[in-house]
Amino acid sequence: MSSRTRRRPDRRAGHAHDGRRMPRWQLLLRYLLLLAVLALTIGPFLWQLSTSLKGAGEDLYRYPPSLVPHEVTLGNYSGVARIIPVWDFALNSLKVALANVLTNCAGAALAGYALARMRFRGRRTALVVFLMAMLVPVESIMIAQFVTMRELQLNNTLLGVVLPGCIGAMNVLLMRNAFAGLPYEVEEAAYVDGAHAWQRFLRIALPSVRGTLAVVAIFAFMGAWDDFLWPLIVLSDQSKFTLTIGLNFLHGTFADNQRLVAAGTVIAVLPLIVLFACLQRSFFRGVGEGAVKG
Amino acid sequence: MRMPRRTAAATAALVASALALAACGSPGGSGGPGSASGKVEGQVTFQTWNLKANFKDYFERVIADFEKKYPDAEVKWVDQPAEGYPEKLSADAAGGTLPDVVNVSPDLAYPLAKAGLALDLEKAAGKYRGEYLGGAWQSQRMPGLPGVYAFPWYLNTGPMFYNKELFAKAGLDPDKPPTSYDQLFEDALTMARKSGRRIAMLAGTPSIEDFGRYGVRLMNKRGTEFTFNGPQGVALLRHYKELYAAGALDSQALTAQAESAGRKFQQQSVAMNPGSAHDLENFKKEAPGLYRHIGITDAVNNTGRANMYVQGLMVNARSKVTPAAVAFAHFVTDRKNQMAFAKEVTIFPSTKGSLDDPYFTEEDGTDATRVRVASARSLKTAVNYTPVLLSDQMKTVLRNAVARAVQGKQSPKAALDGAAAECNRLLGTG
Amino acid sequence: MKTATTPRGRDAGARSPATAPPPPSGPRKGSGIRPHLPSSPWLFLAPGLLVVTAFGLYPFLSTVTGSFTDARTLAPGRFVGGANYRELIHDAMFWTGLRNSLLYVLGVVPLLVVLPLLLAMLVRRQIPAITFFRAAFYTPVVASVVVVGLIWVWLLDDRGLINALLEGLGFGRVGFLSDPWLLLLSAMAVTVWKGLGYYMIIYLAALAGVPRELHEACAVDGAGAVRRFLTVTVPAVRSTMVLVAALSSVGAFKVFSEVYLMAGPTGGPGGEDTTLVMLVQQVGTGLSGRVGYASALSVVVFVLTLGLMLLVLRAHRTEDR
Repeated sequence: MSSRTRRRPDRRAGHAHDGRRMPRWQLLLRYLLLLAVLALTIGPFLWQLSTSLKGAGEDLYRYPPSLVPHEVTLGNYSGVARIIPVWDFALNSLKVALANVLTNCAGAALAGYALARMRFRGRRTALVVFLMAMLVPVESIMIAQFVTMRELQLNNTLLGVVLPGCIGAMNVLLMRNAFAGLPYEVEEAAYVDGAHAWQRFLRIALPSVRGTLAVVAIFAFMGAWDDFLWPLIVLSDQSKFTLTIGLNFLHGTFADNQRLVAAGTVIAVLPLIVLFACLQRSFFRGVGEGAVKG
Repeated sequence: MRMPRRTAAATAALVASALALAACGSPGGSGGPGSASGKVEGQVTFQTWNLKANFKDYFERVIADFEKKYPDAEVKWVDQPAEGYPEKLSADAAGGTLPDVVNVSPDLAYPLAKAGLALDLEKAAGKYRGEYLGGAWQSQRMPGLPGVYAFPWYLNTGPMFYNKELFAKAGLDPDKPPTSYDQLFEDALTMARKSGRRIAMLAGTPSIEDFGRYGVRLMNKRGTEFTFNGPQGVALLRHYKELYAAGALDSQALTAQAESAGRKFQQQSVAMNPGSAHDLENFKKEAPGLYRHIGITDAVNNTGRANMYVQGLMVNARSKVTPAAVAFAHFVTDRKNQMAFAKEVTIFPSTKGSLDDPYFTEEDGTDATRVRVASARSLKTAVNYTPVLLSDQMKTVLRNAVARAVQGKQSPKAALDGAAAECNRLLGTG
Repeated sequence: MKTATTPRGRDAGARSPATAPPPPSGPRKGSGIRPHLPSSPWLFLAPGLLVVTAFGLYPFLSTVTGSFTDARTLAPGRFVGGANYRELIHDAMFWTGLRNSLLYVLGVVPLLVVLPLLLAMLVRRQIPAITFFRAAFYTPVVASVVVVGLIWVWLLDDRGLINALLEGLGFGRVGFLSDPWLLLLSAMAVTVWKGLGYYMIIYLAALAGVPRELHEACAVDGAGAVRRFLTVTVPAVRSTMVLVAALSSVGAFKVFSEVYLMAGPTGGPGGEDTTLVMLVQQVGTGLSGRVGYASALSVVVFVLTLGLMLLVLRAHRTEDR
């Protein structure tokens, strides 16, 4: 059948992967379900968004609560930028998050490949090490990690923020799962052709798990971007603070301006959504291409 | 003053025993006598708790003035965000990276003092004692330790706010808010009855301060045992149980925090709520609907003394620039600078004589001034009811016991006895 | 099934294709038999192992040793043997925490294994605007749990939007945040809501591996959508479902943020909704924290989580054959 050799999913409206047309009622049902889930997932955020756009005079505590602001204003966003150097903080967060993505993708892919595709003594032990590390309650080791950082002279540096989480045990397990799910033939063919482990990893296996790699990237970015307590403990210089720390300053000691806080949360969330929107295109494309051809 | 919030994603700050740090050595006074004398030079790191966002200009002015006065000294200012402050202090203490001058409240200062990390100012800066209110200087004493461990900084107290409109709707006289506990409880029951349990009078269960204000003796004279389970304490708890059953306490009272209680009040779900003097400004901005009907009265107490919150500036006992650190901490808390701070936001200086300033004694007819003057007056005799020895864990024990008693799951006496016993046990293991 | 490590390089190329193993019908389960240098695996593993050991397991060792002392945050303790563990067993809050953590697992894991799979199937088809929906469904995941918690606390409040709707529809107010059981359920709902997108992505990656041919063959045979789902899709993503079950049960057992944000630092009315990790934080945090006791609690949490995960993995294994 010709559909088997088609590389990209058919993008014609209403057409499924296999080229058949979806009955109209099915399409409608699908959209209804999508909209319902959409309301459920996005709905709660609308309140934060609306609060961030409300002007100073509007009563936030009115009952029943009003979702639509009386007059939309961007003043809260500029207010946030005035009170804290929001762009500097965002830049620091970006640096940390990007570094985290690179190290996680590389480190987890390497380790995951070894665990899934290589035979060696101690493989089981290594797997157990990663499993155990995943179970350790992060809460109980923070101070110990900080003291280690200080001994390495890395306290108050962004590197110190990145280091403990730079390769997450869970990411290793995710990559292992992905590699284990790949069929053997292609690698065997490569082996027969004389490729050694590194080449097989780089040229064959890695491109095939692009989907999971994107997942790891998103999770790593998110974990680093949203982290609050560890950067707080490690950093002392305001110039190095990350966005989560910076936004916490909006909770004033003597007064809490809900609108500013709401604007801050929107600022914190937006980049992640944008990142996902960009990444997910390649992610879904890569996902569709992952199959082995005939 | 708002209670410090715990970090949401907060995590325990655990130090393994292998990471023994500063705790070795005698508690308190490890700074040594006379170490504060010497040339005022070097870089002093100064840490405040969530004050930069709103008071950047003020602090930069103070720092500039100090640096002008002592040209060889330099101040580096670090501000910590609202959440995670105890965790940050724990980590810094463990790692030996505590700043030279640190903004702390007495409950945070106590463990640091006990571990020998806070400089004994009685020895190092005793000459400044006379500049501060007697009560304020005393409030920085730590039980079981000689000496005083932080410079008293700003004080905070506040009235009880109430909602005149809700009072009127319940048939209570909006101009005659309760002035005694009996009146308060009676009005609360009326409010619940008349509103069909829709409007509560109070948003929270009694905290240790409430016990103190009611007249309960919180600790024995020697400060070695908790005694809040005395007959007065049981009586107070019994009243609250009655209120809860009648619907005079908000349905979420058992999980209430200072912020959530404040929110309930601003939403006009509860009719009364304690607050700080500066809350009035907040209501104006954040809850104009409430502000239109706001009523202000003194917080009810049986002792004649209001409750006060104290903030202090401690000096790191391990500081490398002790003379400069002491000089700076004293500079920030001196009369002129505290007064200037009090003009930025409605808090109160702890320096002697400041409260007699016309700013705190003359009314000009506005509500804001009225609150300020009344609060300043009450501060003269105010007391910090919260025992410094009451750790966070003990506060949780008490809170859970109160919740059980209020719900009727345990008798008030049994609940308080249990809580006192547990708190004493925790005290003994410390 | 051990095979001899064959030498790499040109020699390997001398093997004729006829002796190569026949292509299997699907990914073979079992160990990899790829030849490589003895040192290769360790080179691959080195960065990962180094990081998780140095920053994960090693600090935890200190916690384990600390659990046998009465250390506090600013004071190293003396050795007290098993006193902390004995105290733990008699601590009512520990049992409350254990109960709540277990309930959390029972409530959350089944939903997080099934619902995201259905969601993944919903968004797989390339219909117009699907990209927007996918991004939208992912939003709860990217929002930090702090923001999510705040939003839901506001929504579920007595005067919140949801109660306003309920009252408008004629029902009474529901104490989502004042009744201990409802509070726990609300927190669970938030966890599930936040986790949907997260596991949906993992399932999507797995579903991509399901060969189209299988679906088509089944469809030709006349099987309906539900039948196809149960007989083709589910078995193919079984290993992923197990992974999701394991990950979500570990996360659910160690839940902290959602319950902390919804129930407050009080842990619900009278501390009734405290979970194990919340208890660890309560006990060990702050400058007067009882680090020794909290360490003992951490160790117990670790052991129980390990047991839970092994249980989940074992269930998978017995189901298989």
